[in-house]
Amino acid sequence: MISQAIAGRVLNAAGETGGDFAELYMEDAVSNRVSMLNGVVENAAYTHSCGAGVRVLKGTRQVYAYTADTSEDALIATARAAAAALEGVGEGQDIAFSAVDYGKAPLIPSETVTNDRRIKLLRDGTAAAKAVSPEIVQVSASISDSSKDVFVCNSAGLWVTDKRPSARYYVSAVASDGTDMQTGGEGPGRAMGFETFDQFDLCAISADAARLAVTMLHAPECPAGNVPVVIDGGFGGVIFHEACGHSLEATSVAKGNSEFCGMLGKQIAASCVTAIDDGTMPGEWGSIGCDDEGTPAQRNVLIENGILKSYMIDLLGSRRMGLPVTGSSRRQDYTFAPTSRMTNTYIAAGTDDEEEMIRTMGTGLYAKSMGGGSVNPLTGEFNFSVSEGYWVKDGKILTPVRGATLVGKGSEILMKIDRVGPTMWMAQGVCGSQSGNVHTNVGQPRIRVSSLTVGGKGDAL
Amino acid sequence: MTLEQFRQAAFDAALALGCESAETYEVSGGDFAVTVLDGEIDTYNSSRSFGVGLRVIVGGKNGYAYTELLEDAETLVRRAMDNAAVIENTDVIPMQGAQSYPTVTPPAQPLCGMSEREKIDLALQMERLAKDVDPRFARAEYCGVNSSWTKTGIYNTLGLCAEESSENGSAMFYAIAEENGTPQCSGTYRSGVAALDSAAIVKEAVEEACARFGASPVAPGDYPVVMRFDAAEALLGGFSGMFSADAAQKGLSLLAGKENTRIGADCVTIIDDPLHPIDPSAFDAEGTPSVTKTVVENGVLKTLLHNLKTALKAGVQSTANASRTPGTPVSVSPTNFYIQPGEKTLAQLLDDMGDGLLITEISGLHAGLNPVSGSFSLLANGFLVEGGKLVRPVEQITVAGSFLSLLGDVCDVGNDLSYETYGCGGIGAPSLRIKSLKVAGAE
Repeated sequence: MISQAIAGRVLNAAGETGGDFAELYMEDAVSNRVSMLNGVVENAAYTHSCGAGVRVLKGTRQVYAYTADTSEDALIATARAAAAALEGVGEGQDIAFSAVDYGKAPLIPSETVTNDRRIKLLRDGTAAAKAVSPEIVQVSASISDSSKDVFVCNSAGLWVTDKRPSARYYVSAVASDGTDMQTGGEGPGRAMGFETFDQFDLCAISADAARLAVTMLHAPECPAGNVPVVIDGGFGGVIFHEACGHSLEATSVAKGNSEFCGMLGKQIAASCVTAIDDGTMPGEWGSIGCDDEGTPAQRNVLIENGILKSYMIDLLGSRRMGLPVTGSSRRQDYTFAPTSRMTNTYIAAGTDDEEEMIRTMGTGLYAKSMGGGSVNPLTGEFNFSVSEGYWVKDGKILTPVRGATLVGKGSEILMKIDRVGPTMWMAQGVCGSQSGNVHTNVGQPRIRVSSLTVGGKGDAL
Repeated sequence: MTLEQFRQAAFDAALALGCESAETYEVSGGDFAVTVLDGEIDTYNSSRSFGVGLRVIVGGKNGYAYTELLEDAETLVRRAMDNAAVIENTDVIPMQGAQSYPTVTPPAQPLCGMSEREKIDLALQMERLAKDVDPRFARAEYCGVNSSWTKTGIYNTLGLCAEESSENGSAMFYAIAEENGTPQCSGTYRSGVAALDSAAIVKEAVEEACARFGASPVAPGDYPVVMRFDAAEALLGGFSGMFSADAAQKGLSLLAGKENTRIGADCVTIIDDPLHPIDPSAFDAEGTPSVTKTVVENGVLKTLLHNLKTALKAGVQSTANASRTPGTPVSVSPTNFYIQPGEKTLAQLLDDMGDGLLITEISGLHAGLNPVSGSFSLLANGFLVEGGKLVRPVEQITVAGSFLSLLGDVCDVGNDLSYETYGCGGIGAPSLRIKSLKVAGAE
């Protein structure tokens, strides 16, 4: 993207006022999106974004400036704007760069795909969803695929490139009986080229979304109460992402704003819980070749048999905490300074029987699929919505229920996990935090929590 | 290439290649943000950005392409034309012609006129002042100021030329207080002149955090509720998409076809006012001149929010609610969208309620609230109220209901209209007294 000579001048300009570390990040991203409503192509859009960000560190102070103009003059001006925030004098230096390429070219790059291929997939998926029931009144579907070239260099001589393809299908179905409306959605994706769609049966997935909408249309409202909850794998992993993952990011931990500060080596979860953040899983939605500071992706064991083993740490967090970086520094795009984030985060498979969990739970909720959620890392208070829930009475599934929300505190729920099933699977999400929206996978096997607050507006079942 | 040269090259190419019309939506901006920690600069951000969204109409269809690289206008035009070629929807999406616009006066943004040093000092001052508010104040989770400017221009081959600049200067303080090792937190955001009042900002944040000590759930059940302005605002914002005519025409809103019918209690009036002095704008994202409208009048739905496409389809005029970013197609959004305030203070609303809950915060709106089904089930914080007085703080409860039932169950509307959450326009609400909501919490 840029010559080493220019990069050297930009980094030296950034260091003019005595910063001890300067970094240049550049990206060039192209994306295509086609959306369909009820089988009719609604919109097609193409975007090309590119830009650069310059970061200067002095101890634990961070300065960041970015620009959409990537000419040498603009980059130098951006570097000077960043440097101006620090008061000091720096010495110019010759930086010896050593280049590493972490990028792997996708099989079918987004830029080689024409809209007719996207439209074919959308049409088939829509038809499969509509075929589920006459109560399906609306199906919207979209395909987004993109490719992003990332480049990072810094004053310590790092020079890395990465290639980040991604492709995702999203389908949402609405079921209605004339007065009431319920929705169901699925959004499978991979950090791969268009070959992503060979890995999924989009028709089956679309039909699942439609079935969910129909099921919820006929489901009574979920009753409120404190009950045992069984949470399935896949997007059920959002429970760990929200209730614990965010509180293990250096963003929260380094400043003492997490309930898990100072807990390394201590028990923070039931002993059946092992949790991992792994950015190296080939082609997975949250995977990266290197992170946005140029550190290669890592597999980080966060919790092992209930004991806290590691946080997720970026360079600034590393300086604040005195711990090594973990390949976790990410950002949405060049308009954000990078910070510690999750990649593919999951609770590892255990040994408990999936059926027994429900059979022995008494009265409670079986959350088959989850919607999104959020957390306050300081207090650990989380909430998330259940998109497909079933009320269990005396160990037997009684009826689907709609409108359930789960709330609690991260440190409490982790200790209350009393079953972990043998098969882990993941689902795709977009996580929003300080450095913008990044692609993350969440995952877990089926698990059981001995007691949780379930919110809903239904009467007792 | 300058923006002007790029625009002209794109228009020339579009017309030469057979487009009926072409339009650029251009946004450029600058942003400055600084946060402080322990008396020193913690983070410092400075930026310049721009992007050009191109829309072409060819064969009656709209096609879009966006770039941040002003190099090859013709390729961008071809991308947009390729995208137009696959559109199957037969809705007519017109392009606005030349218009004249009202003059608007944005609110003063004194922070934007300050030097970087003065802005940094303002942030440092907040951190210092917070220590004096309450000894339980522990530290700031976020203490910073931000200033930004945005320039928006919409130009097309039909002669439209709409240009506007805006500025925003804001301060935000997120306080962490501790008592017996337990943390509580609360944040305050202010823009405009209020952003300079550091003392008031930190006082509100610290006091609100300290008021939460000793919070616990309440028993599950149906509770009369007062939703404080900030919680009411968040709820209204979450459901504002139901008022979009685009959502209604696509069968995604329960308000479809409900114009001129009752959807709320008599005391509920909702206004959408792009010209409101808190954040006025002369035109929408299609260049339609701004208009103020009553969306709900004394409980009766008067109009949905329209852009040119939905208005044409419904046989009405656009309500100037077109919205977009340069990289996305035109859609519909509210502008300054608020529930008209009533007469009573928050204290009077609580008195009238007697026993019940004051809800001050709801969270998880992106997940626990569904604008299509109109239902919500949300994590909430607040206070238990007995005889109109706050008895103790409440946490770890959920409130659940449906938005339309809630609008019907509004007993009274407070006089404390606020734009707290967004601070610079957007969604506004006063405190609302509501007959009852379903609450879950630990026994």
